[in-house]
Amino acid sequence: MEGTVVTITSGKGGVGKTTTTANIGAALAMLGKKVIVIDGDIGLRNLDIVMGLENRIVYDVVDYLEGRCRLRQALIRDKRAPELYLLPTAQTRDKSAVSPEQMVQVCDELRAEADFMLIDSPAGIEQGFQNALAPANKVLVVTNPEVSSVRDADRVIGLVESKEKGPAHLVINRLVAARVKKQEMLSTQDIMDVLSTDIIGIVPEDESILSSTNRGMPVAFNGASPAASAFRDIARRLCGEDVPLVEPKSPSWWQKLFGRAE
Amino acid sequence: MIAIKGLRQGLLIVFSGPADEPWLTRLRELESKLDTNAGFFKGGTVAFDVREMALSDDDLQRSLALLKAHDVTLWAVVSQDAGTQMRVRGLGLSDTLAAPKPAQPTALLQPNGKGEIESPAQTPSPETKPPATTSVAPPHADEPVTLTEATDGLLAKRRVRSGQVLRHPGHIVVIGDVNPGAQLIAGGDIIVWGKLQGAAHAGALGDVRAVICALEMSPSLVKIADAALALRPNEQKKRNRAGKAEQAQLIDQQITFTPWDKNA
Repeated sequence: MEGTVVTITSGKGGVGKTTTTANIGAALAMLGKKVIVIDGDIGLRNLDIVMGLENRIVYDVVDYLEGRCRLRQALIRDKRAPELYLLPTAQTRDKSAVSPEQMVQVCDELRAEADFMLIDSPAGIEQGFQNALAPANKVLVVTNPEVSSVRDADRVIGLVESKEKGPAHLVINRLVAARVKKQEMLSTQDIMDVLSTDIIGIVPEDESILSSTNRGMPVAFNGASPAASAFRDIARRLCGEDVPLVEPKSPSWWQKLFGRAE
Repeated sequence: MIAIKGLRQGLLIVFSGPADEPWLTRLRELESKLDTNAGFFKGGTVAFDVREMALSDDDLQRSLALLKAHDVTLWAVVSQDAGTQMRVRGLGLSDTLAAPKPAQPTALLQPNGKGEIESPAQTPSPETKPPATTSVAPPHADEPVTLTEATDGLLAKRRVRSGQVLRHPGHIVVIGDVNPGAQLIAGGDIIVWGKLQGAAHAGALGDVRAVICALEMSPSLVKIADAALALRPNEQKKRNRAGKAEQAQLIDQQITFTPWDKNA
């Protein structure tokens, strides 16, 4: 097996990198893939919380790199899917605890065992981002439909290209079709005018995300919400399936009347 | 005599003249160039070519301090003197211009024949220099200044993204869009065959006759020589209603946009 390392990054913080990583990881695992999600945010780890695996951490990647455990001991198995694992990071250290070369080494060791390794990159373009980028075979850039996050995504896409990790694949997260229609929010076309890169998924704004994140239960495991199916589509596209891109539509009057979105 | 050239890794400053001329004299000349053209150099990355001159540690330290004061980073010093090469490496700088990786899409442009820019008398060819014992990447390796050798212009056939800076003492031509947050800084003219939404500074070495042309002119900031015009986001959007290619130039010290009219 020769697994693919997918790095999820954004430049700007708070656009949904960790949620995206957890959900794509869950969706890929539900498709029967062997998946390892890796927290790249040393010192500000979150992926374990969003995955609901926080209290199972014994060792982390820094323990492994500093020789306190074997790599397998640091992996936490998520029992909700056949083959899903979390490689947590250290909470008490900072970015300088790991080098890009070490991240490459860790991923090379895992490559033989997994179909996909998803790295949740920290915000910013400093060392934590460089660490997360170094082993990547594919890079997903998450953006929200708003100017400053698109600006940062553009910067990151440029850096990804200059490191010859391009083309970056874009995830547009938290799109509200009704607000796009009212021109209160950037449309997919507005975003593409600036970023012009491959779109791998459009995830609609979804209230169920907040509660699922707090409960440590990624919606893509079994949720029926619009965001859950968008994450599942991204997972299938990562597996090479040709899934047509659906632009979220604002609910029509009768859908509103019956209180459900398509 | 100081000549400024564009290289793939940034700018190249070539010092020529009698080898026994004290370094301080040359550094003073450089200082006045940095002072007069602060907008061109600020934030840039430069290499020195000092030809056969020998520089002491003190000379190198002074050079670094001068550049630092102008927010310019020195990454390489090329000298034919073996002692200087050693001292350069000792400071963690590169003693060669050998490029770390092959050039991205670029091409050479014709010489511009303008007086303001010193025409490259002799292009230093990296392959004649002694091989590098230490390989030092230029500090702004992500700056897509992509030329294999010094030329009179820079052609970028791609989208210039936020945070990217194209800097060249000659002309800059971009075939593609220049995104918001991107920067073009040219000693000569700037031509954007696409949408210009970033910042563009033409005539950055003082040429008041320099122009900026774009198929879609919606820049955040345009500068020509010392004149500047900043546009607010809503002005930027409104600019392109007519959908015509435009040219920005200095008329009575004011930056003026003129639509390109084939009948004019």
